[in-house]
Amino acid sequence: MPTVLDLGARIELVPMDAHFHEISIALYRQQEPEGPEFLVHSYSQKEGTEERIRFVIEAMKGAGNISNSVANPSALRFNCGDPHELACRRLFLDSCKLHTGSEITTSPLKIFDKKADKDLRVVSEGNGVYSVTADNPSESMTLRRIAATAGGLAKLGEMATVNDRSDQIRFECGHSHDQLVGVLLPRALNVRTAMREAEAAAARGVLSAPSAQDS
Amino acid sequence: MAEIKPMTARERVLAALRREPVDRTPVCNPTSVATVELMDLVDAPFPRANREPELMARLAATGYTELGFDSIMPVFSIIQESSALGCKIQWEQKDNWPTVRMREPIYEKLEDVLIPDDLCTHPDTKCVIDAISILKKEYGDEVAIIGKTMGPWSLAYHCFGVEPFLLLSLDDPSATKAILDKLKKVTIDFGLAQIDAGADALTLPDHATGDLVSGEYYERYLREMHIEFSESIPIPLILHICGRTVDRMEYIAQTGMAAFHYDSKNQPQESVDIMKHRISLVGNINNPETLFSKGPEVVRAEVCKNLDAGVELVGPECAIPLQTSIENLREIPKAVGDWHKKHASVNNPASIN
Repeated sequence: MPTVLDLGARIELVPMDAHFHEISIALYRQQEPEGPEFLVHSYSQKEGTEERIRFVIEAMKGAGNISNSVANPSALRFNCGDPHELACRRLFLDSCKLHTGSEITTSPLKIFDKKADKDLRVVSEGNGVYSVTADNPSESMTLRRIAATAGGLAKLGEMATVNDRSDQIRFECGHSHDQLVGVLLPRALNVRTAMREAEAAAARGVLSAPSAQDS
Repeated sequence: MAEIKPMTARERVLAALRREPVDRTPVCNPTSVATVELMDLVDAPFPRANREPELMARLAATGYTELGFDSIMPVFSIIQESSALGCKIQWEQKDNWPTVRMREPIYEKLEDVLIPDDLCTHPDTKCVIDAISILKKEYGDEVAIIGKTMGPWSLAYHCFGVEPFLLLSLDDPSATKAILDKLKKVTIDFGLAQIDAGADALTLPDHATGDLVSGEYYERYLREMHIEFSESIPIPLILHICGRTVDRMEYIAQTGMAAFHYDSKNQPQESVDIMKHRISLVGNINNPETLFSKGPEVVRAEVCKNLDAGVELVGPECAIPLQTSIENLREIPKAVGDWHKKHASVNNPASIN
């Protein structure tokens, strides 16, 4: 008889996996002596669930450079020892969007921005510091878009600004996480939309009284 | 204080509904505690778990077997009898609630209100009745099985649409009362059918909610009818109304209902002060902020606030969001247990050894 488990704090949930029988898959955070670790788990008893979970874990490792914990091989952790929880949640959500068996790739540190009408690039400066740049960075629209993207990365990746510079951000851990930045970059261009999407997803499944329903 | 012998979950809930002594405060859910993870655990997902009795029973039982609550409440939605009345239902998917399409109302006037002969044999009401039978057979007297029968005010919202019905209540009070009077039969018949199936208590949601309906409205349209329900339905009734309701709690206390399932928009102490233990209070752990978005420590604080105020039964304020974490739900019974241990040790220091 299956039963619920003490898995730590659930920090993210995909309520219906579009690629495997609409099962729920969750990301849990556990606090171990070595630092925070993450566990991917589903309560589904459907045959093939374990394989699906293994794929999601591999996708997170491949796309986000997160590794298996030495102490607990089924858990994941960043080598720097910091949680990077928000970024890890995004990595998990993106990994669940992939078909089992699909190619796992890393995201480039370059993206075309429609508003600036040019590519924006993110460059690692070492020690966890990143600069957002583009060709002809002094154009006013480009400047604005560089600042907005750096701000978006800061918000989505819990990064700090560097010396009040609008184009630079850094991970507090002082380590580079190029692959994580690549995961966050597409949403950093329009962080408000990303936040709204997250809020809408969270609101689903909340029951309203008939007087508050809109149907 | 006389020591209370250990009670079963069922004994505990029923005693608290009668405001009799209990071995500890029961953890009770008059509304759904289903989540998508529990659906997966027992392979009973929405929408099927709202329409197939075996799945409905299996999912509901997790409230007791997995979460450690003292009750099982299988009627997750608020639309089962509205479906039997002929309302159009949007059954949705696993991760969302079925809803009545109130923009396509089935009634416009009093004469339209006809209670079908198959009210309690319609598949969506029979599902509830059969699920309660399954649970009663499986759990017997071990745990309180709570059914649900919707009140006439809620049914009228579903059948007429919210805005048309509220306008009618302003324009034509006598027609409004006549409509409610006709719809009473749905509440009573469906409730009695669930009692026959083995329900120990019934939740009676009647959404005269604080946002749209005043306390005076409750007194005018619903108090007498709720008294009638208390007299004609022979098991404990738990009235459920969402929102800020302190302006009608005095009237609710006069109904003879066993309990009022109350919302976190009402403070526990102010609610206890009004109710004065004339009827029990059950709730009022906040859903969208606390259970859904915060962690166990915040859940625990709200549980303790209710216990400190003397609330008789503790549980979520309403049907929980389907994405609520199991960890937060399990914190409710843990916090209740710890609160009682702490207070037992304060009253009797030797008891902690």
